[in-house]
Amino acid sequence: MSAEQQIQPEHFARRSFLYRTLVKAGARFVEINGAAVAEDFGAPEVEVQTARRMGLADLSPLPRSGFKGQGTVEWLSAQGVDVPGESNRALRQSDGALALRLAPSEIMILGDLAGQGDLPAKLNQAWDSEALPPKTPRGFPLPRDETHAWFLVMGTQASAMFAKLCAVDLRPQSFPGGQVAQTSLAKMTGTILRDDKGETPAFHVLADSASADYLWGCLLDAMAEFEGGPVGLAVLRDL
Amino acid sequence: MSGTAHRLPGDTGLLVDRGKPVSFSFEGTAYGGFEGDTIASALAANGVKVLSRSFKYHRPRGILTMAGQDANTLVQLPHEPNILADRHPISEGLEVMGQNYSGSLKHDRGAAMSLAARFMPVGFYYRALYRPRRIYERFWEPIVRKSAGLGKVRLDTPHGYHDKAYAFCDVAVVGGGPAGMAAALSAAGAGAKVWLIEENPVLGGALSYARFDLEGTRGEALRTELIAAVEAEANIEVMTDAVCNGWFADNWLPVIRGKRLYKLRAKEVVLATGCIEQPAQFRNNDLPGVMLGSAAQRLIRLYGVRPGSGAVVMTGNAHGYQVALDLLEAGVEVPAVIDLRAAPGDDPAMNALLERGVRLLSGHTVTEACAGQGNRSIAGVVIDSIVGAGTVAGQPERIDCDVLAMSVGYTPTYQLALQAGARLGYDDSEAIFSITGQPAQMQLAGSVDGAHDLDAVVAEGRRAGWRAAIALGLDAGAEPAASGERGAAGVNFPWPIFPHPKGKDFVDFDEDLQVKDILNAAADGYSELELVKRFSTVGMGPSQGRHSALATARLIAKATGRSVAETGVTTARPPFSAETLGVLSGRSFEPERLTAMHHRHLEAGAQMMTAGLWWRPAFYGPKERREAAIAEEVTAVRQNLGLIDVSTLGGLAVRGPDAAEFLNRVYTFAYAKQPVGRARYVLMTNEAGTVIDDGVACRLREDHFYVTATTGGVDRIYRSMLWWNAQWRLDVDISNVTAAYAGVNIAGPKSREVMAALTEGVDVSAEAFPYMGVREGRVAGIPARILRVGFVGELGYEVHVPASHGEALWDAMMAAGKAAAIRRFGVEAQRVLRLEKGHIIIGQDTDAMTFPHEVDMVWAIAKKKPFFVGGRSVELRARRPMARKLVGFTVESGPAPSESNLVLRRGEMAGFVTSVAHSPSLGKTVGMAYIPPEDAEPGRSFQVKLDNGAMIDAQVVPLPFYDPDNARQEM
Repeated sequence: MSAEQQIQPEHFARRSFLYRTLVKAGARFVEINGAAVAEDFGAPEVEVQTARRMGLADLSPLPRSGFKGQGTVEWLSAQGVDVPGESNRALRQSDGALALRLAPSEIMILGDLAGQGDLPAKLNQAWDSEALPPKTPRGFPLPRDETHAWFLVMGTQASAMFAKLCAVDLRPQSFPGGQVAQTSLAKMTGTILRDDKGETPAFHVLADSASADYLWGCLLDAMAEFEGGPVGLAVLRDL
Repeated sequence: MSGTAHRLPGDTGLLVDRGKPVSFSFEGTAYGGFEGDTIASALAANGVKVLSRSFKYHRPRGILTMAGQDANTLVQLPHEPNILADRHPISEGLEVMGQNYSGSLKHDRGAAMSLAARFMPVGFYYRALYRPRRIYERFWEPIVRKSAGLGKVRLDTPHGYHDKAYAFCDVAVVGGGPAGMAAALSAAGAGAKVWLIEENPVLGGALSYARFDLEGTRGEALRTELIAAVEAEANIEVMTDAVCNGWFADNWLPVIRGKRLYKLRAKEVVLATGCIEQPAQFRNNDLPGVMLGSAAQRLIRLYGVRPGSGAVVMTGNAHGYQVALDLLEAGVEVPAVIDLRAAPGDDPAMNALLERGVRLLSGHTVTEACAGQGNRSIAGVVIDSIVGAGTVAGQPERIDCDVLAMSVGYTPTYQLALQAGARLGYDDSEAIFSITGQPAQMQLAGSVDGAHDLDAVVAEGRRAGWRAAIALGLDAGAEPAASGERGAAGVNFPWPIFPHPKGKDFVDFDEDLQVKDILNAAADGYSELELVKRFSTVGMGPSQGRHSALATARLIAKATGRSVAETGVTTARPPFSAETLGVLSGRSFEPERLTAMHHRHLEAGAQMMTAGLWWRPAFYGPKERREAAIAEEVTAVRQNLGLIDVSTLGGLAVRGPDAAEFLNRVYTFAYAKQPVGRARYVLMTNEAGTVIDDGVACRLREDHFYVTATTGGVDRIYRSMLWWNAQWRLDVDISNVTAAYAGVNIAGPKSREVMAALTEGVDVSAEAFPYMGVREGRVAGIPARILRVGFVGELGYEVHVPASHGEALWDAMMAAGKAAAIRRFGVEAQRVLRLEKGHIIIGQDTDAMTFPHEVDMVWAIAKKKPFFVGGRSVELRARRPMARKLVGFTVESGPAPSESNLVLRRGEMAGFVTSVAHSPSLGKTVGMAYIPPEDAEPGRSFQVKLDNGAMIDAQVVPLPFYDPDNARQEM
């Protein structure tokens, strides 16, 4: 057994909000961002097929951040962030990160899915390092990596699955790539972003971290009829 | 065993697979059928005629429509009552029983009710069962209740998995017959995304069972052609076995398919719901063997079942002759076709029948079906010549048969259209209902719109689909050609109602209502149809008037001297067909929130309790050790060291140049001069001056407060803060960061030594980090906010860390405290600890009327600031005499009161107990209660009424009960 296979979430102080559920499902973990991320669930080749049809990945340990309040857009733009021009849209950044505009002065930053980019951390450090109190408004950072669990739902059946949990029309023709919906998901507040992986439809889901286990269960339950299941981060490289 | 007795030879039966036999039982007897059979079709194939007993008179009932539209076929499954036997498929081993009988379905003792029918006219119980006073409740109601209802609900029925799904389409076509398919193809061809909703297992509608030409081939040919086109059209989503059960505003359609409810939002709707064939009224028109012509055709074509041996056809239109041809071809003898019309006109089918020796009688009617043994079948019919509307010559003739097929007219399936606001009219010349005034985003197509000629039905379907596509702004090309002759003339016979002197001429089969019942209602003055319905219950049964509305309207119109159009039908409300509670409820979603340490609590044997959506440990250990465990946890905190998970506390980030000003306005205390690094109590009142929340505000920087709120209140407080900030437009930003932080409170005399061992960058000594101080540093290597606050009244530290690190923090605390015998404590111990300290819990020790003075919180109100929400109200309320006061009390001996026990003064309610517990620290019962202010002086006593009614004395004592100088928490 290699060192990589022995990585367990409890080796780290920072843990996914539902790491036990992942362990029970047979996850094999790798270290990213000072935490264990489910790389696969024992059968990466099968998982790619699952993901193309109906897969669910936990990205919660990956970096993300957010800023909100007066001056947010101007400050982020000055930091080089490509900010979407309108609310409920997302733009990919040069390092693979995504900037979601949730409101005129509220931006969420999702780091790249390999966990290699450091845009969220860079922005947090830049904000912290500036003189206090600020001379010009620049918004305030939000701990999106703690308030929100981060899942990726993928597969051709994704919109049919979401239809059982969410009232927003997420069909491909109605919900294009880069579109964001802030909505109710299985009676929880959730943010959904369409961000296809190759030919496979994919949706980021961000929702209350304290309800991560509940939402994970709801998603798997809704996926059952499509033979969906959990997949690891590895499949994202093959889609 | 495969139901061959009445099964047609060959592979006839569109829906059944003769290669797949299925065994099931009915009333304990084993039968066979084929995959695709319904319970009713399989039983018919086995020669079983009686499916159910009627609601009131317990008359045997059998197949009427074979369309799942009537109550005659309601049967009982082991875990589900009131199943439509002509819709529910058989499956291997399915156990089916009849229902609503006493004894057996064959020999129902309840049938004796029929003998008393003359004493039970419509509304008899309104007049007969109410005297003497209260006799109804005491005597009649139990009898009525026992006999009411149909099937039986079993309480041990396992939960089924039901769910719901949202759905969207450009055009929803309801009805998959020729009009619906044509409409769907037309709209989809223009690029619209179409849902084609059909309640049957296959598309086709009447094409799949009815006969449209002499050869009997046209329907199937057109069905095949249209289905092939539909299947080739990618824009059409075919939803068979799906019922659109209503219409709601903006084309919101509930579509039920199996155990799933689709909540479909359609931009355009095409109703191609077809029409419902109607029965005629004559004596014994309800007995098994009397069925609609379309029911006989459905048995033959859909299931390959011969309806009987000899069938008389009673018709008022051309369709009856097609039915007769179908019966003949199925091997059923047809001794006669009885045409109600005096001069039917030429019809090739007549000649075909004559050539085959069928007797054709025009201007005649059936006046009575002759009952077979036990009313369980018919042995023949009595016919007579018609001399006027509903009257006959009195020259009866009997014709033997075991089936009577009726084809006397139709009503459009108007329910969805009427729910959408359309109006129902009546064409007196054709004796048929018509629909007008449907909303702009709704089209009608086919026989629901009065088109009965097949070419017209298809043409109008195409035009409806085209109109829907045009309404969507699609390029749908040129308007399809209009239809020619619509074929509505002569479809409905105007008066197929032949009351019989001996009655049993049923208008409403569900409720056993005869012609005279409707006429009596009118004679009693109930001339409006809605009143007739409520008085007589017509149309209130499971089939919701599908087969009674037209006859009732005709009877009431005639009795009141109005037209049928003026009489109308009763209001059509959703649902269109019966729906189960399981479908309505769907999959239940009950979000729950877990702290980062949740699983550690479970591993430690915690008994969990809910707090809003959160799960929290109540105490640790077995349930039976509850009291002892709580006491031990309290003692551990007081004397040694305890650790509690406080992650559920609300957390709000209030940031910006105006942050202190904002807090000054929303909370009662003063925050402008609060130093950085200090925490201050916050108390919130609403506009009425009522206490609604509390917590602490930690000033992390000049422009940054971290504010805690109650677990249950934080979401409401956050919304309230956003609302106020929208009014005031201060330069402040508010964020709910509750889920971002996990928190623990390490409390007890030894807490400082554990903190000292774990903390980096913060001096935790009493001098460097005093009570109500706030620091940021690292605890167990984890970035943390540390608060010296004292809810439990001991030296303690609240440590808040990023939620993802919460479990690691908990583990580190437990490990570091192990040598000091650290003990986990839960919410129950915390409640006792805070009670000993006299700290209130918002929502438990306060209610919707509590203002600060009642709970001795005047100290938390800043006197000098100009405004806070509720300030004016608090001031006004403080000027008035206080009506009650929250005090601490003890009970020296005897039983302890419970929370919510009443405080009585001179026998009148004067207050109530809000909190009470046995204090391990003090060795006695302590509590808090609202009592009259005049009794609130320490040393006085007041009376509490216990749960069992006994009265006890409680003594008022000063708060807090424990450590009144607060020396322990400030050490």
